[in-house]
Amino acid sequence: MNKPFDREERTMDREECRPNLCVLDPGRGDPAYWERLRAAVMAGAAFELARRRELARTSVVAVLSSWSRKLIPATLVAAAAAALLVFAETPSDETASPPLALEDVLEGASGDGFSWTADNAASSAVAFMTFVERHGR
Amino acid sequence: MKDSSDAELVVQAKLGDRKAFAELVRRYQGAAYAVARACTGRHEDAEDAVQDAFVVALEKLDECRCPGKFAGWLLAIARNTARNAVRREKLRAAEPIPLDAPSTSRGPAAEAELAALRRDLEEALAELPEIQREIVLLHDLQGWKHGEISERLDIPSGTVRSHLHFARKALREKLSGWKGHEQAV
Repeated sequence: MNKPFDREERTMDREECRPNLCVLDPGRGDPAYWERLRAAVMAGAAFELARRRELARTSVVAVLSSWSRKLIPATLVAAAAAALLVFAETPSDETASPPLALEDVLEGASGDGFSWTADNAASSAVAFMTFVERHGR
Repeated sequence: MKDSSDAELVVQAKLGDRKAFAELVRRYQGAAYAVARACTGRHEDAEDAVQDAFVVALEKLDECRCPGKFAGWLLAIARNTARNAVRREKLRAAEPIPLDAPSTSRGPAAEAELAALRRDLEEALAELPEIQREIVLLHDLQGWKHGEISERLDIPSGTVRSHLHFARKALREKLSGWKGHEQAV
């Protein structure tokens, strides 16, 4: 027996019969219907899917080829430049200046008569910078 | 694929993954059919609209900004496609997919009764506002919950319940002549 309403359900605070709409389901009595519809959809979508696959493939190839055209030559140039720098003349010990530590500066300043007081703050700062310039070289 | 989320399937389908798109079709062809049928009122037109809607959705997949909300986005396309089909009285170009293939399990009397019930239901549904048709088909035919309909159609849950209530009430009145229509199983 086909019934338009098949069970009760509470909606809007009252008991209601739920309409039996399954007679409108094209898959009723024909379980393969939805499979056929899906196959029809997939047939219609085949071209667009293929286009998207091709687009994705060419995108990857394009990125790789652009790398090979630009990045690889640039890397080769950078490597050559680095090699030149490595084999270039290294500076001698005489010309190299030792690193100047802050402790050295302060220590040297005390022995050189350099002093810092709040009274001569401006002139002391200038004197300190002059000292650093002179001894730092 | 069956365990993948909609968002994951959409990402794969964008790359042309056939299985991912087929899974999306499997998940939502029924809902798309319900929405299209609510618009067109005819099985054949709804079927065409579903096929067109999925192809259009695939072509516009890059415009789907929230892949996780693919269902709502697809149903909007299905609705527009069906409305356009109705507006243009589009002729069917494809061969119809046979509806309700003959079953050996039902006798002629049962088949006739089924056809009559289907006709009366279609007539009753045709008198409902489109949104009520859509909601009652999604809920009572596709089995979607109120929350799912609310989220995917972007309609407040209370409004969904209200539409469902009035749709059922109207259907009950229209189909009151059928035996056992108030019986609960």
